[in-house]
Amino acid sequence: MTDATATPDAAPAPHRKKGGSLLELDARTRKRNAAEARFKAYGVIAITIGLLFLVALLFAIIRNGIPAFTQTFLTMEIVLDEETVEAAEGSIVATSQYRNMVAEALQVKLADVGIETDKEPRDLMLMLSPGVGAEVRRVVQESPELIGETVEFRFLTASRVDGYTKGRVQREDLARDRNLDATHLDIVDELMDQGVVERTFNLAFITGSDASESRPEEAGIGVSMLGSLFMMIVVLVCALPVGVAASIYLEEFAPKNRLTDFIEVNISNLAAVPSIVFGILGLAVFIQFAHLPQSAPLVGGLTLALMTLPTIVISTRASLKAVPPSIRDAALGVGASKMQAVFHHVLPLAAPGILTGTIIGLAQALGETAPLLLIGMVGFIASNYPDGLASGFLDPNSAMPAQIYEWAKRADPAYYERAWGGIIILLAFLMTMNIIAIILRRRFERRW
Amino acid sequence: MDDLRLVERDVDTQDIKIAARKVQVFYGDTHAIRDVDVDILDKTVTAFIGPSGCGKSTFLRCLNRMNDTIDVARVEGDIHLDGEDIYDAKVDPVQLRAKVGMVFQKPNPFPKSIYDNVAYGPKIHGLAKNKAELDEIVETALRRAALWDEAKDRLDEPGTGLSGGQQQRLCIARAVATEPEVLLMDEPCSALDPIATAQVEELIDELRQNYAVVIVTHSMQQAARVSQKTAFFHLGYLVEYDETGKIFTNPEDSRTESYISGKIG
Repeated sequence: MTDATATPDAAPAPHRKKGGSLLELDARTRKRNAAEARFKAYGVIAITIGLLFLVALLFAIIRNGIPAFTQTFLTMEIVLDEETVEAAEGSIVATSQYRNMVAEALQVKLADVGIETDKEPRDLMLMLSPGVGAEVRRVVQESPELIGETVEFRFLTASRVDGYTKGRVQREDLARDRNLDATHLDIVDELMDQGVVERTFNLAFITGSDASESRPEEAGIGVSMLGSLFMMIVVLVCALPVGVAASIYLEEFAPKNRLTDFIEVNISNLAAVPSIVFGILGLAVFIQFAHLPQSAPLVGGLTLALMTLPTIVISTRASLKAVPPSIRDAALGVGASKMQAVFHHVLPLAAPGILTGTIIGLAQALGETAPLLLIGMVGFIASNYPDGLASGFLDPNSAMPAQIYEWAKRADPAYYERAWGGIIILLAFLMTMNIIAIILRRRFERRW
Repeated sequence: MDDLRLVERDVDTQDIKIAARKVQVFYGDTHAIRDVDVDILDKTVTAFIGPSGCGKSTFLRCLNRMNDTIDVARVEGDIHLDGEDIYDAKVDPVQLRAKVGMVFQKPNPFPKSIYDNVAYGPKIHGLAKNKAELDEIVETALRRAALWDEAKDRLDEPGTGLSGGQQQRLCIARAVATEPEVLLMDEPCSALDPIATAQVEELIDELRQNYAVVIVTHSMQQAARVSQKTAFFHLGYLVEYDETGKIFTNPEDSRTESYISGKIG
């Protein structure tokens, strides 16, 4: 300072510092910066690749799955002539008589809308689902008052016709088809122009039951959805109380010794056991030993509960651990018993974490397929909706992922499409559950 | 040592509240407390001082059996509260802790409302028959902890929303609400700023009228300011225990002198 005031016009002498100027980077810094930039680039690349895969996956699922939610219908009127109905009911194969009714009506319909064809009624029927006869019969039996009237029906078209309107089936493909030929498709085209054949949203895909190999147009995922629901109830009821109680005991009460260490290690290992192992365990214990009904959601739920238990125990223990010990001290310090400290203070604070873990565990169980294959939860349930709770838990059923697996196995491409559609529904459930878990965590998370 | 404001030193009473004889504490293989004999007087503030790791907090936690919660900790020797052995097999530590309250180093209010924080102890011990009585207990406790004026309009707000000093006074109110006979404080001011510290120290001095207060502190000035009796711990031993004035002006043991003059610790 004194120097500066003494000689005010003297420029400050350039003072070389030991490490060089701050204004230019030395080699070492440059190298470090380059390494950092490279590392950041790797991260961005990794995330980009991940995102690309995600986009491709979602695109494939949506592209392949969306058509499953629509179905092609043919609207036509049938005169439910009393004599014909009686004759049909009197015959041995009633539905085939009803089919003939539909066939004749279809011929009339085509003539009505001005389509000329030399095809036989039986041949024309190939455009409709094989189930139309049964549907007419069902309507007749449900509402006999309609007999003698003209009733409008909205029939499912055959899966090939449906595939044609969706672009899945091309005209060239029909060369090898022994049922449908190009003239059928010409009729379909004309009927579509007239509005008789329409492709609309098909609620039956979400609420319906599985159908036989030859009738993919009738198949729906509804029954297996119920199967999954009943299984999840069993999982929740079995795994949550047991898992939470075990975690509280291990975390808060159990002495720390060899035995508890051993149990702890085993629980962590259980979480990594392949799910098929739980499947074969369920088969051996619940079905072969305990003789519980095969293919029942009760057994499926018990098996999945075993699988979910480690997840719940691990997440519950983690959230109990996350509650600061000072809270326990505080409670004990005012003379609360250990149990009061846990139930009044620790558990409420850990609850959001426990719930989140449980939901994640349930979501995992919901999407699990392998153990279900082993305990026979791939039942073919064509029409029997569970009626009531007992039947829901004990009657053979399928589950959503098992149903998707079944459909994917079948030869008809129409089922392939339905498998993708089923995946969309399954993913929608999983996403909903995960979002609920995230909301719970955000909403109730507490920071210290 | 001129900065030490040696307040009123006279010990009002000679009633022994807690008597400890030959207390040993082991953490696994570590012998943390060795042969500690101490008599804690009623209606007196007793300070435990000593360097970090000397065992003063460990000993404090023996007095309400908080060490029971640590699996590897083992306590030997006799500690008598009003002539009753608190380590007797028949003693339920829960009942003991209702009589010997504790305030911790870091303010640790429950993440509940201020009211619920204070009311929790009385509730679980059944001290209040109805809501009106509980309200009264809460008010009295908050008044004793000098928090009533600040908190009376926000009893429903979470205790964790208070400032650090207020939180610590809330913890004191919570401890006081169960009507303890002894109040243990484990470095109650170490997480507080000087103003909050002064408020809590003032409070401790007032609490002396009703309770035996035992305070562990790192700050010798604090010990000198608030306590009537001081115990100096070093390496697990109780080196010296006497009236605070004597410890700080005329210690008998050379280690005590080294510590208070800043040579060890």
